[in-house]
Amino acid sequence: MDIINDTIKQQIFFRKELRERVYWFIKLRWVAAAIGLVGLAAAHLTGLRLPLGPLVGIVLSIIGYNIVFLLIGRRLLSTRPAGVRPYHIFAHIQISLDIISLLLMIMFTGGLASPLLIFVIFHIVLAGMLLSPVSCFGYTFMVLLALGTLLLIKPEGLLHLETIHIGSHFFFHQLQHPELIISYLIFAMALVVAAYLITSVKVTLRAKGRELLIISKQLDISNTKLLALYEMIKEIGTKTRLQELMDSATHNAARIMGVKACSIKLLDKDKKYLEFASSYGLSQEFVAIDRIEVDKSTINRQIIEGSLYSIGNLDEEDYFQYPNDVRKEGVVSMLCLPLRVGHKTLGVFCVYSGESNYFSARDADFFSLMTDLIALAMEELSQSTAKTWFLNKTAHQLRSPVSAVMSMLYLLTKGYLGPLTAQQQETVTRCEKRLSILRDTINDLLKLASENDESRRQPFHPVDAAAVLQAMTPIYLTQAEQKSLIFEVRAAADLPQVLGQERLLDEIFTNLISNAIKYTPAGGRVLVSLSLESAEKIVFKVEDTGIGIPESDLNRLFAEFFRAENAKSMVEEGTGLGLAIVKEVLDQMNGTIKVASHFGRGTTVTCLIPAQRRHGLS
Amino acid sequence: MATIPDILIIDDDRDLVNSVRIILESRNYHVRSAYNGQEGYHSIEEKIPDLVILDVMMTTDTEGFDLAYKLRRNPKYANIPILMVTGFTQRMADLGPENFQHILSEDWPVSQFLEKPIDPEQLLAAAEALLKGEASYGHHQ
Repeated sequence: MDIINDTIKQQIFFRKELRERVYWFIKLRWVAAAIGLVGLAAAHLTGLRLPLGPLVGIVLSIIGYNIVFLLIGRRLLSTRPAGVRPYHIFAHIQISLDIISLLLMIMFTGGLASPLLIFVIFHIVLAGMLLSPVSCFGYTFMVLLALGTLLLIKPEGLLHLETIHIGSHFFFHQLQHPELIISYLIFAMALVVAAYLITSVKVTLRAKGRELLIISKQLDISNTKLLALYEMIKEIGTKTRLQELMDSATHNAARIMGVKACSIKLLDKDKKYLEFASSYGLSQEFVAIDRIEVDKSTINRQIIEGSLYSIGNLDEEDYFQYPNDVRKEGVVSMLCLPLRVGHKTLGVFCVYSGESNYFSARDADFFSLMTDLIALAMEELSQSTAKTWFLNKTAHQLRSPVSAVMSMLYLLTKGYLGPLTAQQQETVTRCEKRLSILRDTINDLLKLASENDESRRQPFHPVDAAAVLQAMTPIYLTQAEQKSLIFEVRAAADLPQVLGQERLLDEIFTNLISNAIKYTPAGGRVLVSLSLESAEKIVFKVEDTGIGIPESDLNRLFAEFFRAENAKSMVEEGTGLGLAIVKEVLDQMNGTIKVASHFGRGTTVTCLIPAQRRHGLS
Repeated sequence: MATIPDILIIDDDRDLVNSVRIILESRNYHVRSAYNGQEGYHSIEEKIPDLVILDVMMTTDTEGFDLAYKLRRNPKYANIPILMVTGFTQRMADLGPENFQHILSEDWPVSQFLEKPIDPEQLLAAAEALLKGEASYGHHQ
C-alpha cells in the first residue's frame, strides 16, 4: 500500500546508520592520530631510525583534516540534508584521505615491509561497512595498485626509504627479492578476501535490515488498524439505534481500511432481497437502486452463503451485476463478506476502492474480523432493542389497567358517584392502597429488569452529583414537612464530578432519601450529605432517626422483595425492590453501599461513588 | 366565562376517559372524547376545544406527543392548552432515551402534565388553571 513511504523510511534508516558511522570515523581518527604520535615518540626514544619529519607531518595533517571534517560534520548535523548523497561524498573523502595518509606512512616506514601494512585491511573493512561493494573493491584495487607501484619503483632513489628490521622473515624491502613479490601477492589476496567478506556480510545484513523494516512496518500498520478497530467497536457499542450503529460502522470501516466507500446491505425477513441499509462514500443514486433479488445475483448469493468476494479489477470482470453503476462510482476493486452471527446471516458488508488490486490477503483477513465484530454488535443491539421494546410494552400493559382501576376507585372514594357507607368507603380505600402497592411493584420490577440494558448502552460521562441532589431537594423538603421531619441537605463545595449518568444518580438518591423519610416517625430528622472521601471518591450519606433495621435483617437488605418486619408494620407501601435497585445501579458505577443501623434509633446509609480525577486524563 | 368550556379527552383507555368525563362533568364542563390521535385531530378540526386532555402512549409510544406537536405547529390550534396524562413520570424514560431527547430538543409542546391514576382534585385544579389561561409553556421541570 505504501511503497513510497517504505522507501523513505528505509532511506532514513540507512542514512542514520551512515551518519553515525561518519561521526564515529572522526572520533576514531583522533585516537589513531594520538597513537601515531605516541608511537613515533616511542620509536624515536628507542632509537629506531625513522624519517621523523615526514611522519610527524603526516600525522599532523591527519589532525588538520580531521578538524575540517569535524566542522563539516557539525554543519551536516545542523542542516540535515534530505538525501544520502552528502554523507556518501563525505565518507568517500574521509576514506580516500585516510588511505592516502596511510600509504604515505607505509612508504616512509619500509614499504611492503612496514608493520603499518596491516592497517590497510582495517581501512578496507571500514570502506566496506560504509560504502557500496563497488566502492569498497575500488579502494581495494587502488590500494593494491599504489602498493605495487611502490614495489616497482626504487624507493631508495625516491624518498630515501629506511629499512626497519623487526625480525620478520617475510617482509623484505629489497625489490630484488622474489619473496617480496610473493608477500605482496599474499597481502593482495588477503585484502581482496577481506573486501569480499565485508561486502557480502554487509549485503546480507542490509537485506535482513530491509526485511525487518518491512515487517515492522507491517506490524505497525496492523497495530494501528487493530487499535482503530477497537475504537470503532467501542463506539458502535454505544449506539442505541441500528441505523446509527450501521452508519458509524460504514464510516469507520472506510476510514480504517483506507478506502473510498463502504456499504451494508441487509437481508429482508424472507432472505429473498438485499437492500442498502447504510453506506459511506457512495452516491445517492447508487444506493437508491432497487432491492437486489438474491436468487438473481450470483455474487450476492455466494456472499450470503458465506464466501469472501474479492475483486481486484472491475474492468476485467464482465459478470458483475451493476458494472456501469459501480464504475461510475469510481470503484475498481472491492471486498465483500456476509454479516453473520452463528448461522444467521444479517446481510452483506462491502468495502470499495478506487485502485485496482487494492486489497491484499492480509486486508481480507482484517476485513473478515471487522465484519464479524460488526455483525455481533448489530445482533446484540437488535436483541437488546427487542428486549427493551418488550419491557416497555409489558410495562404499559401492566400499568394501564391498574391506573384505570385506581382512577375509577377515586371516583368512588371522592364521592363522584354518590355517597358511600362507612364500610364501603373503607373497603374501597383498601382496594386503592393494595393497587398502589401493586403499581409500585410493577414499576420497580420493570426498572430493575431494564436497568442493566438501558444504562449499559449509554456512555458514562461526568455528572455533577450536587446538582442532581439539589434538583430533587424541594420534593423531599415538602414530603418531610408534611411528616413534620427536619430535613437537611448538605453538599460540600467544589466536589469533583462523578462518572455516570444523571438518571443513575437520581435513582440512588431518590430511593435512599424516600426510604429515610418513609421510615422516620414524625418529629425525627433526616440528614442528607455529599462530601469528599478522597480524590477518587465522593460520599453520599443519608442519616435518619427512624425505626432502624433489626441486626438480623441487615445482611438481607439488598435481596429483592425483602422488607424488614418493622418496616412492614410501619408503612404498608413498599416493594422491597428499592435497595436492590440502588445496589444494582451502584454496581454499574463501581460504587459501594454500607448500611449501619441501631434498631429503633436510626439508620445511616453510606454510598461511595467513584469521582472523576480532576487533573487526570479527561 | 359566559359559555360552558369545551374539553376534549383523547385516550385509548375507555375506562379512563369515562372517569375523566365523570369528574369534569361534575363541574358542568362540556366533555367530548376521542380514542386515538387521528380521531382526536378530527374532533379538533370540527370544533376547536378550550382544552385538550391527551394520553402519551396510545397505538404508538409517542402518539400523544406527535399529536401535541402537530397542534403546536398549526397556527390555528397552537394556542389550545394541552394537559398531558402519563402512566407516571417514569414513562418519560420508558419512551427510550432517543425519543426522550427528541422531545426535549424542541419546544415543549405540552402545557402541563398529570400522572395516572388520575386524582380528581388534581385534574380539576389543572383543568381550571389551564382554562383560565394560566398555561405554562416551556420545559416542564
